[in-house]
Amino acid sequence: MRTTAEFDSPLNLYQADRHATLKVLLISGNWAIRRSFNQIGVHAGDRIRVLFKAPFGGPLVIENHGSRVAVGKQLAQNVRVEVLP
Amino acid sequence: MKIALVGQPNSGKSTLFNAVAGYRSLTSNFPGTTVEYAHGQARVNGDVIDLVDMPGLYSLTPGSPVEVSAREFLLASEWDVLINVVDASQLSRSLELTLELKDLEAPLMVCLNMMDEAARKGLVIDSRALMAALDVPVVEAVASRGRGIVETFRAALAQHRQASSSRPFIYAREAEATIQRLAEALTPSAWEGHPRAEGSGIAGVALGDSPVSAGVTRCAHAESSVAVERPPVFPTPRFHALQLMQSDPQQLSRLDRYQAAVVEQAQSEIVQLLGQPADVAISSARHAACLNLFERVTRVTKPQAGWRERLDRLVMHPVWGYLFLVLVFLGFFQVIFELGKIGETHVLALSDALLASLRQHMDPQGVTFAGLKGALLGTAGAVAIVLPYLLPFLMGLAILEDVGYLARVGYLMDAAMHQLGLHGTATLPVLLGYGCSVPAVLATRILASRRDRFIAAFLAVLVPCSARMTVILALVGFYLGANYALGIYALNLLVVMLAGHVLARLWPEISPGMLMEVPAYRMPAPRVVLLKTWWRLREFVVVAFPLLVAGSVVLSLIEFYGWQQFINAALSPLTALLGLPRVVGLTLIFGVLRKELSLLMLMQALGTTHVLSAMTVAQIVIFTLFVTFYLPCMATLASMIRELGWRLTTAAAGALLGLAVAISLAARAVFLIF
Repeated sequence: MRTTAEFDSPLNLYQADRHATLKVLLISGNWAIRRSFNQIGVHAGDRIRVLFKAPFGGPLVIENHGSRVAVGKQLAQNVRVEVLP
Repeated sequence: MKIALVGQPNSGKSTLFNAVAGYRSLTSNFPGTTVEYAHGQARVNGDVIDLVDMPGLYSLTPGSPVEVSAREFLLASEWDVLINVVDASQLSRSLELTLELKDLEAPLMVCLNMMDEAARKGLVIDSRALMAALDVPVVEAVASRGRGIVETFRAALAQHRQASSSRPFIYAREAEATIQRLAEALTPSAWEGHPRAEGSGIAGVALGDSPVSAGVTRCAHAESSVAVERPPVFPTPRFHALQLMQSDPQQLSRLDRYQAAVVEQAQSEIVQLLGQPADVAISSARHAACLNLFERVTRVTKPQAGWRERLDRLVMHPVWGYLFLVLVFLGFFQVIFELGKIGETHVLALSDALLASLRQHMDPQGVTFAGLKGALLGTAGAVAIVLPYLLPFLMGLAILEDVGYLARVGYLMDAAMHQLGLHGTATLPVLLGYGCSVPAVLATRILASRRDRFIAAFLAVLVPCSARMTVILALVGFYLGANYALGIYALNLLVVMLAGHVLARLWPEISPGMLMEVPAYRMPAPRVVLLKTWWRLREFVVVAFPLLVAGSVVLSLIEFYGWQQFINAALSPLTALLGLPRVVGLTLIFGVLRKELSLLMLMQALGTTHVLSAMTVAQIVIFTLFVTFYLPCMATLASMIRELGWRLTTAAAGALLGLAVAISLAARAVFLIF
């Protein structure tokens, strides 16, 4: 079973810059967190882009396969990503 | 013949429903607004069909109570055909639900809605190829413009006539074997302890080397009586197995020990085979299949860039976005205030004139006059509230919702809502509270955690609904000036913030946070806006009008026969404590019936519409504060009991009453000092 340590990317989604194109490596966290991401169509391996970031620790908006999703700070911190060129 | 509309949030189910079934469904451009099931009838090709509009579902693995109830409805099989409404502009994600629905192995067809939006995004979809790949009928549609609707229902009827059921989606071969084994282990004959479960059958293989297998077999016997009584909820064993494999540890703990053990066994098999937890593995398999399918049937061309992009850059901007938000809501409330004032003045003038002519034509001392006077004032009150204030509010909110702005408000307000212990998704219920507490409390169902639902409902009830807005505007605003009214609103906002803060501390919980689709901007269809306004207004009108008129007549008669002194005497400790005239005691009772009755009954009780001649400025402010904060009205209490249960509702009501007394006393102290 893959673990978080194996994907020891220093970056989580919340740390990504606006306009960055990213690859989702792993969605960590409990069942409910994984489920909510999977339901709204975000899975490991997806290519996403950060469109907007709200100030004061607010959510960010990502684009994923043409749909736009607002992701709160805590949830975004559960998504390990890698920056794509 | 019953057809159920099922689809992801915001895919246009309700638009399709409204197009054929009339006035019963709510449509909006905010994910998850259909919290009530709408039923209706439609006539297609001479056939009368029953239609059910279901709340939006991202998947069949449920999270929030709305999703739980939707899945239960789907599994109870009280329908003949499913129409899966799919947002074509979100095709790859939407197909994930379609694949899950195929697993139900029931008559199914796909309505590929919002083809216009897909074209705008540069997606060219080959619906024939999609039909071939999915092996269910696919019909292209733009429901908001009436395109493809008849064709959709024709295809659904054809599916029903042919009784053709969808075929399940096949996952990775290794996973399929495990799913199959689990499905067989879960068939009733297996869990009743038949030879298949105990012998060398498939369940035996699945459990053979497991250290718990002996206990499991014994358990199967012990639980069998419970198991037999259970209704056959899942349509096929395979579907049952899939659902259980994706469930969380908490759901598994509610199963009997035999079932829990076989499910855990299957889950760990999947982990060994595919290296991922079963829920992730299954969902990823579906996701990958959908991406493949999407690439096979869709050609991506250049999207039409335009004003939508530019608008979002303004609306979602970290500085201009908030400025825009403030301007939108200032403008919004300004319009309601202005429209309301015009309407109220005219209605009150009219009722004054009518009352004067009534006085001329009949004996002002008679019981008939007292009754008629009550009925007239009641009607005037109802019309003065509903038409001028509630109507523009609900219509404006419907427009903001359908344009897609409210979802953006949720995004902008997320950080601020954290201060109230909530997330941005709770913005809609709290905002709806400014219109009417009843739909606001019902809207809390879109929130997943019980704690979030309680806090959101409490705050939604705390903000002044349009009935209380009438009391504030018509009493304080009208007699003391706009600044006093604004002051009460500001104080209310402060109390809401403090209450949220305190509740978040009292009931701490790490809820996962906001994950919300940001819909594309859409032009609201006037018909849909009007229907939605009417739907939200309807309950208010149907319940409020008779109550208002009847309540007013009853109070008039109580006054005529001089009974109010008994009620006022009973409430005199409270009115004395707050420094209010004794006569307002009765009005507080009526306020629980309907908030605006307090205002109306106040004028009745004081015997004049010129309140300043009977009450001091301090008394008017204290009365308004108390009415704003004390118990919510009956309809709200009833909906709170439905959504939160007795215990939490009683706690909320007690807290509100205490809060109202405290705030009114504080106001009294302030007025005494200055």
